Amino acid sequence: MSSTATRNLAKRVDRFMAALITGGGLLIILAVLGILFFIAKEALPLFFPARTQTLAIVNLEPGKGLWADDSAKTVMIPDPAKGVRVHLAQDGRLLDTLTSGPTLPWKLSTSPDSRGHLAVVGADGRLHAGELKWAKPPGAQDPSQWTPEVEWTSGVSLPVAPSELLDVRSLEAGGLMGGKVLRVLARNPTGLIWGEAPAEGTEPLQWKALPAPADALALLSPDGQHAYIGTRDARVQDWALAGEASLSTEQTFTEPVTALGFALGGSSLLVGGEKGSIWAYQQVRDEQDTKALQPFHRFLSLDGPVRGFQHGLRDKRFLAWGPTGAGILHLTSERQLMRITGDRIEGAALSARGDHILLQDGNRVRPFILDAPHPEISWKTLWGRVHYEGYKEADHTWQSTGGGDDFEPKLSLLPLLFGTLKGTFYALLFAVPIAILGALYTSQFATPGLKSRIKPTIEIMAALPSVVLGFLAGLVMAPLFEQAAVHVLVFPLAAVLLGLAILPIWSKFPASWRRIWGEGREALWMIPLLLGALALTYLLAPSIEKAFMGGNYRTWLQEAWGVRYDQRNSLVVGFAMGFAVIPIIFTISEDALSSVPRSLTSASLACGASPWQTAWRVVLPTGSPGIFSAVMVGVGRAIGETMIVLMATGNTPILDWGPFNGMRTLSANIAVEIPEAPHHGTLYRILFLAALLLFILTFSLNTIAELVRQHLRKKYESY
Amino acid sequence: MKATAWLRRGSPFVWVSGGLLAFALLMITTLVGYIAIKGLGFYWPKPLVELTTTTGPVLGEVTGHEAATAEDPERIQIRTANRDILGQDFRWVPVSEIQARTTPPEALVIERLENGTFFGSLWRITQDGKVLAEGPGAPEEARRRLAEAKALQRRIQSMEKDEVGSLNQKLEDLRLRRRKLEAKGEPTAQAEAAEADLHNRFQHLQEELEAFRAQSNGLQVTLRTVDGQEKELSLAGVIRIIPVNTIGLPRKVSVYLARLWEFVWDDPRESNTEGGVFPAIFGTVMMVMLMSIMVVPLGVMAALYLREYAKDGLAVRLVRVAVNNLAGVPSIVFGVFGLGFFVYTLGGSIDALFFPEKLPTPTFGTGGILWASLTLALLTVPVVIVATEEAIASVPRSLREASLALGATKWQTIRQVVLPGAMPGILTGLILAMARGAGEVAPLMLTGVVKLAPSLPLDAQAPFLHLDRKFMHLGFHIYDVGFQSPNSEAAKPMVFMTTLLLLGIVVALNIFALRLRRKLRARMGGSTF
Repeated sequence: MSSTATRNLAKRVDRFMAALITGGGLLIILAVLGILFFIAKEALPLFFPARTQTLAIVNLEPGKGLWADDSAKTVMIPDPAKGVRVHLAQDGRLLDTLTSGPTLPWKLSTSPDSRGHLAVVGADGRLHAGELKWAKPPGAQDPSQWTPEVEWTSGVSLPVAPSELLDVRSLEAGGLMGGKVLRVLARNPTGLIWGEAPAEGTEPLQWKALPAPADALALLSPDGQHAYIGTRDARVQDWALAGEASLSTEQTFTEPVTALGFALGGSSLLVGGEKGSIWAYQQVRDEQDTKALQPFHRFLSLDGPVRGFQHGLRDKRFLAWGPTGAGILHLTSERQLMRITGDRIEGAALSARGDHILLQDGNRVRPFILDAPHPEISWKTLWGRVHYEGYKEADHTWQSTGGGDDFEPKLSLLPLLFGTLKGTFYALLFAVPIAILGALYTSQFATPGLKSRIKPTIEIMAALPSVVLGFLAGLVMAPLFEQAAVHVLVFPLAAVLLGLAILPIWSKFPASWRRIWGEGREALWMIPLLLGALALTYLLAPSIEKAFMGGNYRTWLQEAWGVRYDQRNSLVVGFAMGFAVIPIIFTISEDALSSVPRSLTSASLACGASPWQTAWRVVLPTGSPGIFSAVMVGVGRAIGETMIVLMATGNTPILDWGPFNGMRTLSANIAVEIPEAPHHGTLYRILFLAALLLFILTFSLNTIAELVRQHLRKKYESY
Repeated sequence: MKATAWLRRGSPFVWVSGGLLAFALLMITTLVGYIAIKGLGFYWPKPLVELTTTTGPVLGEVTGHEAATAEDPERIQIRTANRDILGQDFRWVPVSEIQARTTPPEALVIERLENGTFFGSLWRITQDGKVLAEGPGAPEEARRRLAEAKALQRRIQSMEKDEVGSLNQKLEDLRLRRRKLEAKGEPTAQAEAAEADLHNRFQHLQEELEAFRAQSNGLQVTLRTVDGQEKELSLAGVIRIIPVNTIGLPRKVSVYLARLWEFVWDDPRESNTEGGVFPAIFGTVMMVMLMSIMVVPLGVMAALYLREYAKDGLAVRLVRVAVNNLAGVPSIVFGVFGLGFFVYTLGGSIDALFFPEKLPTPTFGTGGILWASLTLALLTVPVVIVATEEAIASVPRSLREASLALGATKWQTIRQVVLPGAMPGILTGLILAMARGAGEVAPLMLTGVVKLAPSLPLDAQAPFLHLDRKFMHLGFHIYDVGFQSPNSEAAKPMVFMTTLLLLGIVVALNIFALRLRRKLRARMGGSTF
């Protein structure tokens, strides 16, 4: 090969490598920085507004309400004249008419609820409860492969037919006969009536009067033991239906009540008024342990009166509708997910997943799609006080999962952020004095020989994996501290006392001896002193506990301060995490303090200042930006520390600064909960949001620290 | 007067700051020493003490002593072992109840594969129901036969693991091939025939195994506790028999070493609280190696770009600060990224493209060693970039200029001059990255570490390297055994040993890297001009 060819090849290789390294290097840097964008991309959909879509309107004759299957491909309409009509939602084609069950034409009927439950009084005057459903072969997507079904009870004979059927519930294994019992709430011209009878029995139903206005609305609680009543004169009442009906509590409402309903789970009562107001009420026990109805959520009003509610079966969203409009609202976040206006809406259905809405608007059915994957999240639910079901008042709570399908997730990030800051605070409280004064000592006073011992030891400290520190904190220190909490607090006192006691003896030594053996070796001399202090602590602590705390510090804490001592508490975490932070602060501070120009210290010493005065008044202020940046980096490390807090805190999300209880931090929370969080679910995204928060917090802290450090470096470059 | 002047001149504060430093130094030495003593001390054979108490005899090792408190009288803690009989490993005995204290020479420590250690005596040994030895001679006979029983046991285990394992693997492959063919609508008769043949061989192997097992179970020993309860056990289930109260120092040392050996090279038993940690060591090492393979080219490339190719300006300075600060971003954030991006996004797509026949069982769409090492590579790449940049910068300009003046291209200069000069610095960065990677646990918990992996990510079955497998890790082992184990008191020594091992690895790596760096700095310090 000629030399030109070689050179050409070399040039080509050079160009190729330049391109490769530039491209690859840029790509890697972009990829590394892309972490932030990916995490943000996963977290942000939490805050996207709900998306809605209007589908083609279908002409359908109205019946008594309507019910959609969970994919909303079909509509079932209970029609008092013909039975249950089954239509295709897309074009309104009639698929089938189910005529089994009550004899046609029906005298009375309730509208189906979201589970497809309804009650009908047939032509023969018998009351039947029914459930609409589909038999779907597995995997079948097309409604033509499905079979519509209605399951009816065999019917209860009614001695007197009411004028309107309000609500029917079946009581499981309760009531009169020990079997399945139907409890019925109805209206007749003189007022409200209720009664119960075995669902499959022959026994006729006996009506009892409910002393409420004849034009009131009424609803049975899910367990059937209560009737909620809303009146035209703006009152909401709770009646207990045991034996005879008795009024247990009452609340006034803002306007005449025109609709009652429940959110999923049945513990939140939804009340709608004539002017469109919508409130949620719940049962609470007050101080006297009597039950009371408490209004705890208020929602955006509809434009006209509210006529009905229907809830989804997946979360706490519900549909509220009236003649002129409808809205989809979420109980926890009070968000309005969707708003629809209409002319004369007579019925509405929300599919089980809550993503399809069907409105019966005159002779037409208007279908809508709602895409709101995270309705329970709003700025307020993440950071503000939220009034959750079953709680007496609004609070910051984190409880992401619980038993049952109707669990209300409580997703406040505030207790977690608080826990993070609390852990960081206690860690720094322990670490900062030790690290900074230790660094000052090492850089200014220690002999070179001692210095060369200190630094590797601190390096070993920096290398300790956090899982090791966490294990020691959780399994060794926590039980030790619990046994010897008094000792831990007495130890610093004992050290100071012992130091003061030894001082006069030390000053008796000849000055030259002190100079040769003492100066620069203070830290070494302090080791036996600290060991002595430890021995002194063991001698003193039990008697101190006996004298001041009545022999048992835990009962003393409980009685004198009302504080409970948890084994895994902030002291332990502060100690262990402080341990992780000390070497970081120490190393950076020591660098900063060592780089303070010699000329400054020499000038100070020459003017007659003592070494300590020089260190404290000259070196420390000059190096303070470096120390500041050291503390920032330390804070960053403590904020993100995971394993130590995971193992040593007990992980209870509480809002309490006390040193004797634990915390739950953002990072530990991620580690605990993300393995169980379904991909792209709300919890998953919230945990990504927590990670984003951690990223931004630590990244900005480190950036500040880095900028300060660079500034400092530039400043002293000239010396 | 003198005192205030003395205070103003501040020498007490020097003492105070020295004291604080001393406190930190004391803490770190105590901590490391505590772990070392707790971990290493556990394997030393301790004498068995027999206590005659008012409630009956107790045999065990004395493990703790507690002075009288308000609630409890003075008492000692005894490790009684015999978990299967007593239901627990430890017991507190009030000192007031103890009547006599002896160290019986016939007491044995019998380590078993199941139910932990047994303290007591060995009463009888039988073969197929025929008594071989009974009474005082039985332990001797049992020890003689132990080697033979263990050899048989090993044969059975290797058969179960290798032959049965590989047959299972082949069956699974065939099943998947059939599913693929079925999905395509092609005939499956051939696959079915092969499957039947394999089933046949499987049957044969099972019969052979059964015979071995029967032979192994023929040797039975009868153990007797101090209060006279008897327990029958197959000799194959015994690891070793130690007449701990009569052996001398050399035997004790050999027992100690054997136990250490077992810790390093054996699989865990009894939900990780006994046996060894070999899979965890293997997993840690392999993960760190995979990480290193990825992190070095990436880090060096990025550093070369930043130092040699990018135009120095505000943008590069900003990027440098950003990369530097990434090292301070919490590791759990990287874990979250790894889970969201590698596992769900990348892994999910790989599964959909290449392994559709296995779905919905994920192959790469779940945590695995590849994703864990990639996540750690991202976590540690800033360390390598920073170290490499520093190393490249410390290669003297004169050398580069000499190379360029001789007509070398830029790449040739980098390859022949800059990189060799920077190599020790790059190595330092790599070692620091490895140390950081080996000690991290939080991101691994999200991307593929498990408490017990059925098989190693590297084995004799094609394709040998299984990047999709989950793995065990020393750090996670500590967390899991220490905090998730039902029997955490008995598991503590295991945790201490694992901690010591991890600590040793990480600290050694760190010290090595820092020594290297210091030496380099001293050598390079004067030569940058």
